[in-house]
Amino acid sequence: MKTDVIIIGAGVVGCSVARSLSRYNLNVAVLEAGSDVAEGASKANSAIVHAGFDAKPGTNKAKFNVLGNRMFEDVCRELKVPFRRNGSLVLAFGQEEEKALQDLVAKAAANGVPVEIISQDELRKREPNVSPEATAALWAPTGGICCPYELTFRSAENAAANGVEFFFDAKVEKIERAEGGCAWNVGCADGREFEAKAVVNCAGIHSDELNNIVSATKYAIEARRGEYLMLDRDEDGTFAATMFQVPSKMGKGILVSPTVDGTVIVGPTAEDIPDKEDKATTYAGLEKVKAGARRTYPNLPLGKVITEFSGLRAHETTVGDFILGEAPDAPFFFNAVGVESPGLTSAPAIGEWMAEKVAERLDASKKNPALISKDVSWWPKTREMKPEDLAELVERDPSFGRVICRCEEVTEGEIRAAIRARVGARTLDGIKRRTRSGMGRCQGGFCTPRLIEILGAELGLPPEAFLKSRKTAPRELVNAAAHGTHGGSSSEIDVVVIGAGPAGLAAACAAKDAGAGDVLVLERDDAPGGILQQCIHNGFGLHRFSEELTGPEYAQRYVDMANERGVRTVCGTMVLDISPAKDGGRGASVTAMSPRGGLKVYHAKAVVLAMGCRERPRGALMTPGTRPAGVYTAGTVQRLVNMDGIMPGKRVVILGSGDIGLIMARRLTFSGAKILACIEIMKKSSGLMRNVVQCLNDYDIPLLLSHTVTDVEGREHVTGVKVSKVDENLKPIPGTEMHFDCDTLVLSCGLIPENELTKKAGIEMDPKTRGPKVDPKTMATSVPGIFAGGNVVRVYDLVDWVSRDSEIAGRNAAEYAKGVAI
Amino acid sequence: MKMICINCPKGCEMDVTVDGDNVAVVGNSCPKGEAYAKAEVTNPTRMVTGLVRVAGMRKPLPVKTKNPVPKSKISDVLFVMHQATVQLPIKIGDVIVPDAAGTGIDLVATANM
Repeated sequence: MKTDVIIIGAGVVGCSVARSLSRYNLNVAVLEAGSDVAEGASKANSAIVHAGFDAKPGTNKAKFNVLGNRMFEDVCRELKVPFRRNGSLVLAFGQEEEKALQDLVAKAAANGVPVEIISQDELRKREPNVSPEATAALWAPTGGICCPYELTFRSAENAAANGVEFFFDAKVEKIERAEGGCAWNVGCADGREFEAKAVVNCAGIHSDELNNIVSATKYAIEARRGEYLMLDRDEDGTFAATMFQVPSKMGKGILVSPTVDGTVIVGPTAEDIPDKEDKATTYAGLEKVKAGARRTYPNLPLGKVITEFSGLRAHETTVGDFILGEAPDAPFFFNAVGVESPGLTSAPAIGEWMAEKVAERLDASKKNPALISKDVSWWPKTREMKPEDLAELVERDPSFGRVICRCEEVTEGEIRAAIRARVGARTLDGIKRRTRSGMGRCQGGFCTPRLIEILGAELGLPPEAFLKSRKTAPRELVNAAAHGTHGGSSSEIDVVVIGAGPAGLAAACAAKDAGAGDVLVLERDDAPGGILQQCIHNGFGLHRFSEELTGPEYAQRYVDMANERGVRTVCGTMVLDISPAKDGGRGASVTAMSPRGGLKVYHAKAVVLAMGCRERPRGALMTPGTRPAGVYTAGTVQRLVNMDGIMPGKRVVILGSGDIGLIMARRLTFSGAKILACIEIMKKSSGLMRNVVQCLNDYDIPLLLSHTVTDVEGREHVTGVKVSKVDENLKPIPGTEMHFDCDTLVLSCGLIPENELTKKAGIEMDPKTRGPKVDPKTMATSVPGIFAGGNVVRVYDLVDWVSRDSEIAGRNAAEYAKGVAI
Repeated sequence: MKMICINCPKGCEMDVTVDGDNVAVVGNSCPKGEAYAKAEVTNPTRMVTGLVRVAGMRKPLPVKTKNPVPKSKISDVLFVMHQATVQLPIKIGDVIVPDAAGTGIDLVATANM
């Protein structure tokens, strides 16, 4: 293929250059070795728009940092990328470091960046959670936060709308002068060939290798790995500004910062590593992040960690600065080499500057004065929409009413739009970064089976193709037909129950029995029964029905009982909000969304919360290693195997000995997999002994107590895990490592009540159970008229007791709805 | 011999002594425990639950053995279970495979589909 300009690398720099170049009369192609945009440093960094006070004056880093910083409002508004100028603080701990702040003040002045020193008192006033050991701070009001991968793929989307072509899985291996001219022949590993008048090298950590092919001026990039932790949205507001510590030679130190998504990012470490692909997290690295962060934030809540990851910065060792511009001995070959921090901040400025240089060299004129193309297909974020706009959207396209990712409230419509975009998602990761589906606190535990179904339908592939690797699937669009809809209005109901699992259905039946008139159950899944639908093993109902039932049988009993009593159950409906009546009124209004009903507000005289619980994901366990496909929570595997007919693997290690993990050990054995071991960090199994006997011992599956997984291996898919013995303090003991070759790691490390709605309703929580505080006699929460039952209150061992306690909640909700004071 | 009862979540730890035809059980808290212990030393049995293919669908049908089957027969029961394919509709309790693997016990559906 012949074109004018080839950009190598679709990171934030490559995509910014592409976007800026797209306004010129030039044909532009972007070649990316990975299967999506933002696969390198652009997806894993601190997400900070640096003010520019610490770059060495006179360097490219300083120049482009400051220029780029000033562009962010405009660029992010044009591209609809979230950005906030929250300001940065650099903390000094003691006199020695306060002197270092003075150096930063001098640098800031030279770079033209406004800063001021603030006192300890002022610091504590602005940031109450900061360590009392911090004695002063540098305040830089122009510092900001942004979403780096969103900036990247929206820049790419904009460039594509303006005519730039993107080629993925295009690893450039050859760059040669075309015969008899000054054009470049660019060859990819898979044999694809391109010819271009100019090449722009934006290949991140590999940019030195590409330069060294064509130029005698050799560069050397070292991959500098940074490990991070991410904290739950519950922590939003902990700090207003981005909290830095005094920088060192290796980087800007461990920072603690809010993100535009409402989470809190903590990190990074800085470690030069020999392998440019090694993005594993390590035990030692994560310990460093924790220790460093505690200096700033002594109460760092490890229980709120939702994930950890690492990124590789492209640190150039010979020049130590951004190397930008045409290579002196290779005309028409332009470099953006060694763009490490502040690379994200600098990217829009580098894009503009580079585009100008390239266009000038090629004598190209501007065709578009503006960079916005009118037909850019922006996909909406339903989470951020106004209710009336959302209602209208769902009316037009019901798939925007079907919530797929419950943690981040991402709808099917958004996911389909992200796949159908010009530079669309083709992988689970691609969807995750474009929509946040799977990025919340359950880390894809619930939505993964649904996402692979949608990906499969859109791209014409079997769903399991997307579990095999983190890599690409070929693009082949299949349009799904939209279906009819009817609008939403509000109505009044005696008792609204949220969740149609064993808790919700039991509560609804009991409410009917206690005389409630209209009882409505709202269920987000497509069928009632809750998690029991996938619990096909026996062992349920001994107390409730005096016989041993399987999960689906137990669920069906309650479905039948609810039907007999005239309970209305509406499935495919996600409750988004519960607001208790104000000014002494009774009851609450419940806002729910569904593909067919749109956005609807129900006025309930009483509400029963029965949302159940979710599993602790890998992120919360802080298991070090790579982040390949093939790591699932036990409940996700249970859904895949029992409901979707998909076997995730053949050689399985189970971490944690929770009941679901034990049950899945037997289930997977029955389905032909080999369970190598069940690993438990504690001295005894956390699951029931009966399950150890009948699920592990019966099939000679070893249970390794006082052991844990200390490394996950494999780039695309899991290839093995390392397991170590732990000491009394649950720390791994060096020298006790053993290795398992496996293709799947199943996590069964505890359940957490799912209480996002509970918190939104302002209900008082019990820190011990992580559910709402309830009066056990009535199951009433702290908010009058709102009751709770089942695993949303605390995690039960037995479904029989879930039903029993939920019946108490249902009964009392009915009484409350009749006007009885409870 | 030590044994853990699997009948209910209590998981009673029992001491079982075999003396010829005589089996003495200590530590159980109900008659089910004693029966389980005796069966474990003579003819241990298990409920088997699993999945059967449904014609024309990816989603499988959950099934169980109507009663416990001898432990030694579990793999045979799984084999016939995995050989079977059912046509919908199916109701809870429908017999999917009669007399599974010669155990005299039927495989029955555990969900309406």
